[in-house]
This record gives sequence, C-alpha cells and structure tokens, in this order.
Amino acid sequence: MDRRQIGLILVLEKLGLPLKLETFDDRLILQKAVYLADAAGVHLGYDHGWYLRGPYSPGLTRDAFAAVAELPSEKDEIRGWQLDEESQLRLESLRRLIPITDACSLELLASVHYLVRRRGMHRDDPGLLAKELHELGKDYDVETVRQALKTLQANGLL
Amino acid sequence: MIVVDSIHGDVHLSELERRLIDTPSFQRLRNLKQLGMGHVTYPNATHTRFSHSLGVLGVMGRVADVAGQALGLGDEDKENLRLAGLLHDIGHYPYSHLMEGIDKVQLTEEFVESIKTINASSERYPSHEELGELIVTQREDVLEAIGGKERAGIIASLFRGYQIETEQLSRLVHSSLDIDRLDYLLRDAHATGVPYGRIDLNYLLNNLRVSPKGVVGIDLKALPAAEQCLFARFFMYRAVYYHKTTYALEEACRQLLRRLRDQEAAGLAGDGNEIRSIVTSNQFGQFTDAYVDRVVHEAAQSSDEIIQSLANTIGSRRPPRLLKEVPVFEERGSRHHAGSSFRRDCRHRLSDLAKRHSIPLGRFLYCETKPLSVEERGPQMTEHDARHLRPLEKEEIIKVFLLGQQEPTSIVSIPYSIVAACAGHFFRTFRLYLVPDFNTSDERVDALRQEVRNWGEA
Repeated sequence: MDRRQIGLILVLEKLGLPLKLETFDDRLILQKAVYLADAAGVHLGYDHGWYLRGPYSPGLTRDAFAAVAELPSEKDEIRGWQLDEESQLRLESLRRLIPITDACSLELLASVHYLVRRRGMHRDDPGLLAKELHELGKDYDVETVRQALKTLQANGLL
Repeated sequence: MIVVDSIHGDVHLSELERRLIDTPSFQRLRNLKQLGMGHVTYPNATHTRFSHSLGVLGVMGRVADVAGQALGLGDEDKENLRLAGLLHDIGHYPYSHLMEGIDKVQLTEEFVESIKTINASSERYPSHEELGELIVTQREDVLEAIGGKERAGIIASLFRGYQIETEQLSRLVHSSLDIDRLDYLLRDAHATGVPYGRIDLNYLLNNLRVSPKGVVGIDLKALPAAEQCLFARFFMYRAVYYHKTTYALEEACRQLLRRLRDQEAAGLAGDGNEIRSIVTSNQFGQFTDAYVDRVVHEAAQSSDEIIQSLANTIGSRRPPRLLKEVPVFEERGSRHHAGSSFRRDCRHRLSDLAKRHSIPLGRFLYCETKPLSVEERGPQMTEHDARHLRPLEKEEIIKVFLLGQQEPTSIVSIPYSIVAACAGHFFRTFRLYLVPDFNTSDERVDALRQEVRNWGEA
C-alpha cells in the first residue's frame, strides 16, 4: 500500500466514513467526500474531472478498490500513520458541517464547488449555476443551488 | 509531411499536426526518456516521449479510419482523435513517472517507525494528465497551433476521459485496445531488445469491430492476438519495467527527491502549485530529465549522509545492491504469502540490522512493486467490480465479439481464454536493497545477504 492509499484510509476514518464500495451510493460518497476534503485543503493528490454525477477521479476509484482488497492483509501497513494536525482540524470541520453520509447533498455540494472553482463560474449567480447544472443533466432548482453555495461559503470552501 | 518511425513506418502528418509538433511545448518531449532510468540496464532504451507520441498519433489514425465509418465520425472528429493521441503525454514530468510519484513514496524510516505523519495540507504534485490539460488549454504556443481554446478543450477532454458531447470519440480513445499500450509495448521491446513486448498490431487493427451501441472490440479470430498483447504487457513489466536494477535506481531517486522536498531544498518544486507555475511559465522548456539530473548532481554535495549516498548511487551509476527478493504469484485476496512475511520481517528487523552494521536506516531501500495481473485492471478489480465504474472506464477492458453476438464480451469473461484463467492472480515482488557508499565492499554486501536470507521464511 503506498503513502497516498494510506492517506486515503486516514481521511475516510477522520470523516467517519467506512471504506466500502459495495453500492453505487458508497462509491459516490467516497468520490465526493474526497473531493470536498481536497477543497477544504486536505490534499491527497487525486485529480478530479467532470463525469455524469459531478467531480470524479479514476485514480481514486483504483486506489479505493486496491485498498479494500489489501486492507485485511495489510493492517500493519497503516498502523502508526497519522495525518498532520492542520489536516485533521480541517477534516473535523468538514465532518461537523457537512451531512457527510448523504450522497445527494455531497453530490450537489461537490458539483457546485467544481463549477465555481474549476470552471470559473460566478458564485454570486445561483441561477446561472442551476442552468449549467441542468445542461449537465442535474435538475436542481435555483433555491437549492443558493443553499449549497451558502453552505460552501459558510464552511470556508468557497 | 511524412515522418519515418522505426516502429510503424511512415506516419503522415497534417499541417496542423506539424505546427503542433514544432511548438516548444511539444519539442520538450524530446528530452524526456520514455523508460526513465531504463537505459542504465538496457543501453539502447534512450527513446523518448516524443517518438512515442508520434507513434500513438499514427496508431490512433489507423483506429479512427477503421472505426470511424461505423461510428459516423467526420474528418474533424478523426483529426481530434489523432491530436489527442499526439498530446496525451505532453504533461509528463522529468523521467516520466518517477518524479510524478514522489508523494506516494514511503521513506525507509517511515516504513519501520511506529509513528509517522502524512502532511496533506500542502498541494501534491499533480498528475501528468492534469498538467497535460493545463499545457494544452493554457500555453500560448499550443493554443495558437490548435487554433483556439474551444478545440483545445475538446482535445484535452478526449485524452483525460472527461464527459464530452461526442461520446463516441471518447469511446475510441479509451477503447479496449488501449492505443497508448499498443505503441509503448512495441517501442519499448524494440529499444530494449527484449522480445516479449512484440504484439501483432496489424492483425488486431484489421479485426477491430464496432457494435451497434458503439462499443469497440475485436473479432473472435483475433482472440489469441489480444491474449498475447495482455501477456506481452505482463512480461514487459516483469522483465523491463520492474527490472531489479532500474527499479532500484528509480526508487533511490524517488526517495532522494522526497527527502529533498521535505527539506525544502532549493531547485526542486516545493509543491503542486510550484509545478503548475513551472508548466505555465517560460521555465517549462527546462522541465526535462536534465531538471532531475541537476537536482541529483547538487544533492551529491549535501552534508546529509543519506541524501549524499542516494545522489551518488544515481549520479555515479552504482546501483543499490539487492540483498533479498521475494517474488510471489498469488490468488487475488490472498492474505498470507512469502511476500507479506518478508515485509513483516523487514519492518521489525531492519532497524536492528542497520544498527548492528552501523549503516543509516535510510541507506536500505525496501520496495514492493505494484500488484501486476494479466488483465490491465489489476488484481484488485474483477469484472464484477469494473461494472460499477463509469462507462468510459468499462470500455478499457478488452472486449471480444463472440460468434452470433452483436455486443462484445469482456475478455476475462470468456471461459476458454487463458486471460480468464489468470485474471484472478497477481504477480508482485518484494525487495530489500542496500544503497552503497564508496566503502561498501562485496564482503559487506554478502554478510548482509547472509543475515537476511531467512527473512520471510516461516
């Protein structure tokens, strides 16, 4: 298990998420939680592009499957590892402020964040963001997008 | 314009392709060796990302011509595919994957110590794919040659596998045939002189088919060629990419770069943001193998004994000495094997060994190769697991058109394919090396080998 995979396990532990990939929601939560952790300043080095359900990293999928397969036999591998204090604090805030086990909320927050930060869309225009999301196949009303922006801003993610 | 390529023969280039190749951003690839430090082991393996990229363009052009009609591709679509092939590696780091991977490296002290920290609060080095997108969409020379941001965005999306409007194009780039692999196996086999990478490219391309749903696969009669292609990759990894000497030098270099970066050494990018700055600045032309060579050269003067030893082993081409290697070929999910026992012993006994021989712990390199299986997806991901991936990634598994079927079947699901029989297994090797210094004698290495010879054995 390499250092990034170990980091992934530590981040999920800190967010209170189990490392499991059995259902579609499990995998969606994993993708969006790691994306938001990165947005909060906890960088594992995964490279997220846009796919059908928002930000997605193929490298993260591969590492997560590898970690699930290897973890039972390599518990020694993660023993003694910890994240730096700054990252731990950031993850604690993220865990407190975001309903982290709700796949739909995470998808919305990660998608809105991606459009603002990676595609340079204006965060003061929820209407335009909702329209762009609609074009990308996601039907959120303007008020829902406005609330997502507020949550992201209140948590220091935007 | 025609370029004569040693692997594919004549590669015809359009005016746009010629302009792109002539840009300084693309010409940089002439100074990135395709096989990192592989030339230390195989003297002729000095070929570059430049020739590989031209080769991928050539193969992509052939695939686009064969499949284009079935997919209804226009001339611009086909040209975009060729350009995606040409530019897919434009973001590579010096020494290819070596520098890119330093965030994943565990230092030997971290491997044995009981408390260790991952600092995730600074930006990691970005992937070469992300840098590729940055270069294609932001560097002026490339943008000017391509003809603007819009087309640059389409091409970057193609090689990065993003969702784009022309889904059929992405399907081709990420098709089961893996155009990148078709070139690098042939090219690396040719350059190293190792025959295992030779594949039947023409037969594979001549038997390419596209299903009514637009899925790319090969005809059943080319199944042996597809199987051989997968085994070729497997053996090239074992013989070339995981070669004990090349791997040792590259691991020494990864550990050296990580130590230097942790110490915020001058001349080495401190984090991902610095790498992005280099890529978008006029320093980019110098971001070649010579960038790492210079860092290694300067590190040889370091007062830190470990850094100096690592730099000298690389700079003077005196590779780390292998003390013990434990290769395994195991069933997926196997928990206890000779490799895991060897890892356990290294973790618990290495500090004592180092102390008794008065050798700094950092001069030992403990390495594990990534698990390698015949099917590219790797031992951790079965066909069942792969069903959960996004559609484009599913396409990456080799697909075969069985008799009477309109849609192709994954090669690992064909019961009489040798790939299906091997897909549940993985190869991995566990190694312990000593980084020599100028006083390291053969007798000392032999004494250490003697001490570790039973490690990993019950």
